Amino acid sequence: MVESGFSEDHLDVLKELMNIAVGNATASIADLLQTFGTMHIPQIMISDMVGLDAYIKNAIPEEKQYYITKQLFGGIFSGEFLFVICENSAINLGRHLYDVNQNPTDEDIHDAVIELTNILSATIISRLTEELNTKVQFFVPSTERIVGNSIIGQDELLNYHKIIIISTEMVFEDQQIGGKIFILTKDEMIKKLKALIDQKLEELYA
Amino acid sequence: MKILVVDDSKLARLSLIKTLKEHEPSAEIFEAENGLIAVELFKNENPRVVFLDLTMPVMDGYEALKLIMSIDPKAQVVVVSADIQTQAQAQVLALGAKMMVPKPINSDKMSDILNRLVF
Ligand SMILES: [Mg+2]
Repeated sequence: MVESGFSEDHLDVLKELMNIAVGNATASIADLLQTFGTMHIPQIMISDMVGLDAYIKNAIPEEKQYYITKQLFGGIFSGEFLFVICENSAINLGRHLYDVNQNPTDEDIHDAVIELTNILSATIISRLTEELNTKVQFFVPSTERIVGNSIIGQDELLNYHKIIIISTEMVFEDQQIGGKIFILTKDEMIKKLKALIDQKLEELYA
Repeated sequence: MKILVVDDSKLARLSLIKTLKEHEPSAEIFEAENGLIAVELFKNENPRVVFLDLTMPVMDGYEALKLIMSIDPKAQVVVVSADIQTQAQAQVLALGAKMMVPKPINSDKMSDILNRLVF
């Protein structure tokens, strides 16, 4: 039993639903890039903000530059979707999508990253919530370029007490495009998520 | 009839077995949570059908499929995966899988699958 009433069964359900969701998303991106990608087994962790900070520092090397796209989603289950892609990957993505050999403009790269994130969050979150029999609404995403791994601002840290981190990675090796996905949800949402998973488990054992 | 169900997720195994039992109540079911255990069970039990997940720790479904097909080229392996890319499908079919079906599997899909297998 981990904190917040999540049992191993809850984590297993969430992980498997994420697996299905990420599989769908990888296929959509593969269509977009007209190539083949690989997906990693999602990791799920319930933590506090100090833990999140440490987790992110561990997952993202700090010496690079990144494009971070954040998108909020709302509904019975709400939270924040983060897509982190390093500068080289983002440039490769831009080149691939615009079919150019020289580096695309910064604006084009931003567009490409936003488009990719939109597809990712829409497929992953919609699939996840569909499996949990609920609906979700998406807000407009925003992208910024940062150096290092401070992807969560200090001011934002104060908003969260307990947080659930769902993270995974997708890699398009031939195009050298890869990115990390984090889904963050907090406090009362964790309880709601647990209730949704309980329903799912009930159906299963019925 | 012996059937082997391979998936690292307990949920995935449970729901697959639940739908499977609706159609084949008398099946003797073996479970494995990764490819390595699956290959061992396959060797020892020689199941009629294997339901195989792709994304698993220790040994993934691609590797397990290769080994299973080398043990028994007539093995009936149904790949059940969240990875629905056409290339993933082409790859597992080339390795000898009978078919690949997207997760999750409902009752209708299960009945289709079973109709396409030889018992
Ligand atoms: Mg799996």
